[in-house]
Amino acid sequence: MTTSSPPASAAVAVAHPSHIAVPASGAEAIVQVLADEGVEVIFGYSGGAILPVYDAVFRHNALHPREDGGESMPLVVPANEQGAGFMAAGYARASGKVGVAIVTSGPGATNMVTPVRDSMADSIPLVVICGQVGTASIGSDAFQEAPVSNIMGACAKHVFLVTDAAQLEATVRTAFTLARSGRPGPVVVDVPKDVQNAAIDWHGSGELLLGGYRSRLRTVEQASLSDTDCAAFFAALAQARRPLIYAGGGVIAAEASTALRDFVDAFGLPVTTTLMGLGAFDTADPRALHMLGMHGTAYANYAVEDCDFVLALGARFDDRVAGVPDRFAPGAKFIAQIDIDPAEIGKVKRVDWHHVGPLTRALERLTAYGRAHAIAPQLSAWHAHVAGLKRTHAMDYDRASALIQPYAVIEALNRHTQGRAIISTGVGQHQMWAAQYFDFRAPRHWLTSGSMGTMGFGLPAAIGAQFAHPGKLVIDIDGDASIRMNIGELETVTTYGLPLKVVVLNNSGDGMVRQWQRLYFKGRFAGSDKSLHKKDFVLAAQADGFAWARRLDQPAALEATVADFLAFAGPAFLEVVIDPDAGVYPMVGPGASYAQMITGDFIASRKAAAVDEGATSHMF
Amino acid sequence: MNHTLSILLQNEAGALVRVAGLFAARGYNIDTLTVGPTHDPSVSRLVLTVQCDEAGLGRIMQQTRKLVDVLQVAHPAAALAA
Repeated sequence: MTTSSPPASAAVAVAHPSHIAVPASGAEAIVQVLADEGVEVIFGYSGGAILPVYDAVFRHNALHPREDGGESMPLVVPANEQGAGFMAAGYARASGKVGVAIVTSGPGATNMVTPVRDSMADSIPLVVICGQVGTASIGSDAFQEAPVSNIMGACAKHVFLVTDAAQLEATVRTAFTLARSGRPGPVVVDVPKDVQNAAIDWHGSGELLLGGYRSRLRTVEQASLSDTDCAAFFAALAQARRPLIYAGGGVIAAEASTALRDFVDAFGLPVTTTLMGLGAFDTADPRALHMLGMHGTAYANYAVEDCDFVLALGARFDDRVAGVPDRFAPGAKFIAQIDIDPAEIGKVKRVDWHHVGPLTRALERLTAYGRAHAIAPQLSAWHAHVAGLKRTHAMDYDRASALIQPYAVIEALNRHTQGRAIISTGVGQHQMWAAQYFDFRAPRHWLTSGSMGTMGFGLPAAIGAQFAHPGKLVIDIDGDASIRMNIGELETVTTYGLPLKVVVLNNSGDGMVRQWQRLYFKGRFAGSDKSLHKKDFVLAAQADGFAWARRLDQPAALEATVADFLAFAGPAFLEVVIDPDAGVYPMVGPGASYAQMITGDFIASRKAAAVDEGATSHMF
Repeated sequence: MNHTLSILLQNEAGALVRVAGLFAARGYNIDTLTVGPTHDPSVSRLVLTVQCDEAGLGRIMQQTRKLVDVLQVAHPAAALAA
C-alpha cells in the first residue's frame, strides 16, 4: 500500500547513503539493531507498509558484504508469511538464537499469527517486525490494516506498537531481550510506515525500562538453591527406591543437557523426556527411557507408573503427559520441580519441593552438593527393573506386513543418521512415529510443533534449520496432509539451493484423525480421507525444481531407496506410500491413566504379561 | 467466591487490554474494574473483582505476573488474613 511518508525523513535516508553506518531513519534503526544483535538471516515477505525496512535491509547488505562476498543479513522469502514465521522458529529451535521475521501489515501480520502462537506455546524466541499503516490511518480500516497489537497481544510474549519514532531503536533492542530472557517467547514489534520513514537520532545503546518484568527476571535469574533446599531434596531422594527424571523442553531452552548428564552420572536417576525434551538426554543411553505420555514408549509410561519419586525439569505436566493429573505417577511419594517460570510450579500437579531459577545452575548446584556429601543412591534394583521394562515392552510393529510400515521407514533413516541429523516434522501420526523411532543424541536436533500441534510446521522449520546449520543433514519427516498446508515452501527449498531432505509418509489422509475416529467415532472418517485426492507429490516436487524426487511403494526397495535419497547432494524429495491403517502405539487415550494404555498388537502390554507371567518374549 | 485484586501496571496503551484479555481468555468475568493514576505518572493502579475458586485465583495471579507491563499483583484480602 502507499501511505504518505514525511518527505524530509525520506530525503535524509536517500541523500546520505554513505552515512548508513549511522542510521538516520526508523527503518535504518531497525536494521542496525538487527545487525548489532548478530542476526544472520531474516525470513520475511515484503509489502507496502514494510517497504522502508526492506529497502534498508537491501542497502545494509550492499554496504556490508560478508568476507566471502555474500550478504551479511540475507532476506529469505517464503511463499506465505506463515512459512517465514516457521522458518524463523526452525532457525531458533536448531540454533538457540533468536529467529527474526519481517512482514507487512494486515494479511502479512495475520498470516504470522500461527507461528507466533506456536512459538509462544513451545517457548521459542522470535522477534517479529510487522509493518503497520501510518499512525494517522490507524483505526480507519485502511488498506491492509489489522489490529495487530490486539491480535498478537493475546498470543505473543509481548507486543509493541511503536507510535513514537524516538522509541523505536530502544524498543527493537528490548524485543530481543524479552524474546530470549526468562522463559523465551515471541515478541512482536508493530511499526507504522511513517515511523519507519521518520528521521531519528541514533543512540547505539539503551533499552526500555520495563521495571516489573526486569525486577521479576532478576529475582528468577539470581535465585539459587540454599544448603537447606539441597538437603531437603536429597533427604527425599534418600527415601526413594525408584526415582525418575521427567525432562521437558525447558532443559533444551536452558542449554542444560550437559548439567543434566552430570547429575545423572552422579546419582543414577533414569530419564524420560517429553516430546519437546527429546535430545535433552541421549536416547541411546541405558538410563534413557525415551518419551513418555500419550504416545510415549510403553516402558517409559510403566516406569512412571512404578516410580516413587519424580524430578520434573523444565516440564509442565501438560495434558499429553498428565492427562489425568491425579493419576499421573500414582506411586510418587515426592515430586520435585525446577522451572524458570514461577507460574508453572504446581499449576497442574501439586509438588513437594520446587525451585524457580536457571536450570543449569540449579542442576550444577545439586550435583556439587550431592557429591560433596557423598550421596550415592543405591538404585541397582531399579535400574534392573527399568532395563527389564525396556526389554519386555520394547517398541515393535508388524514386520511381516506386505505394506510399507512407517516405523520401518524411520528405522531405515535412523540407521544412516544415527541420531545426528536435524529432524523436523508436521503434526500427526508421522510426528509421533518420528519421535518414537529416531534416536536423539543431542539437543536441538528435534524440531516439532509440540504444544500447538501445527500441521505444516515441518517444511518451513526444516528450511530455517538448514540456514542455521548449512553443513548439517536436515530431514523433514512429513505427512501427506501436513505437507499440503505449506507445500508452497517446496519451491523455497530449491530457490535457495538447500540440500534438505523431505520425506512424505503418505497414508492418504489425516492418519491421526482417522485413528481417533476409528477408536471413538465408530470408524466414520469425516473429512479425514484423502484417498480420492489427485495430487501427485513427485510431480509437485519436480515442478518446484527437485532433481531427486521419487515415490517408494515396494517394501523390498526401502533400504536402497533411503540410502540413495540421503546420499543425494542437493534437495531431495521422497514420497513413501505406507500402510494406511498403521496406527500410533502405545496410546494413552484422552482421560485415561498410564495403567490403561493401549499398546497395540506388537508391543507387550503389562496386562497381558500379568495374566501369563511364565510366557517368553515370543508370546507376542 | 468473590476476590478483589489490585494490580500496578505501566501506564501505556494496550496494558489494560492485556490484563482484561488474560482474564477473558481463561473464562473469568471481571465484575468490577477501576483504573486510576498513582503518584508516578508512568504507573496506573487497576482494581478488579472476579469470581473464582482459590486454585483458579492462584493461577490467574501467576499468569498476570507474566505480563510484561505488569509491575505488581496483590490480593489485599489474603494479605490481611495472613
